[in-house]
Amino acid sequence: MGHVQRVFEAAGIPTVGIYIAAFAHVPARMGVSRALITDHPMGRPLGAPGDAVRQRDVVAAALELLTGTAGQTIVSFPHPYRTTARPFA
Amino acid sequence: MTTPEGEPPLTLKDFSDSFFYGSRSNLDFKFLADLSDTETAAFAYDDVPFSILTTPLAQSRVALVTSSGHFVAGDDPKPFGVEQMTQIEAEARIGEFIRAEPTLSHVPVETPADQLRVRHGGYPIDAALIDHNVTLPLRAMRELQHDGIIGELAADAYSFVGATSQLKLRERVAPLWADQLRAAQVDAVLLVPV
Repeated sequence: MGHVQRVFEAAGIPTVGIYIAAFAHVPARMGVSRALITDHPMGRPLGAPGDAVRQRDVVAAALELLTGTAGQTIVSFPHPYRTTARPFA
Repeated sequence: MTTPEGEPPLTLKDFSDSFFYGSRSNLDFKFLADLSDTETAAFAYDDVPFSILTTPLAQSRVALVTSSGHFVAGDDPKPFGVEQMTQIEAEARIGEFIRAEPTLSHVPVETPADQLRVRHGGYPIDAALIDHNVTLPLRAMRELQHDGIIGELAADAYSFVGATSQLKLRERVAPLWADQLRAAQVDAVLLVPV
């Protein structure tokens, strides 16, 4: 996705990417514009299944980065992964 | 070449083999076994392409692009011409996916959840099968549109299998996708790498 992000930016489309901790090194290495790093596991970048509040908070935090104008911005989402109370999480 | 301790350096094969404790326990990395060190060379760039959002976010049309492997029922991208490829087959053929050109699936944002499908041989899809929003956050985007945080969610979201040829993606495919998004008058894009 780093390449998609770079190509879109070069084409004039502002982007922000949500990267999990396992890929935390990618945004800086690949020179992507804006990245939010979540402490979430593989396959759950937005949060646990059913955790609508966390999923929304992550998306909102990422979208906020779109307003930045200062060049490459890499920010860590400040809250650790949490499972929901539901049995499948 | 040796490490300072005199040990031979860890090759990619050593690294990938180290995950082979069971047939599925190493799902996140097992596709590496089929690839050479060259093919998995880390891409690194010194420059940072950067575009400024020129409209306020609350007035912007935002598109969602994820590498989750989602598609709509009846619109299966049929990788390698295979009808109704299973998740198990996608995992088994991940080495072919990683050399192939990705297909971009259009997912209308009002698609009912029971019409969404997901198949991706490179990450555990268990959570996405339960709740597609973990990798395709349509609900969050709709809420943020409703609350006026973004102006508008673009009519289509987009998904592809992120385990794909990076060179084909960079040189051929992603530029075409950028053209599609500009044609859809998208102001900004939220990307979810999976």
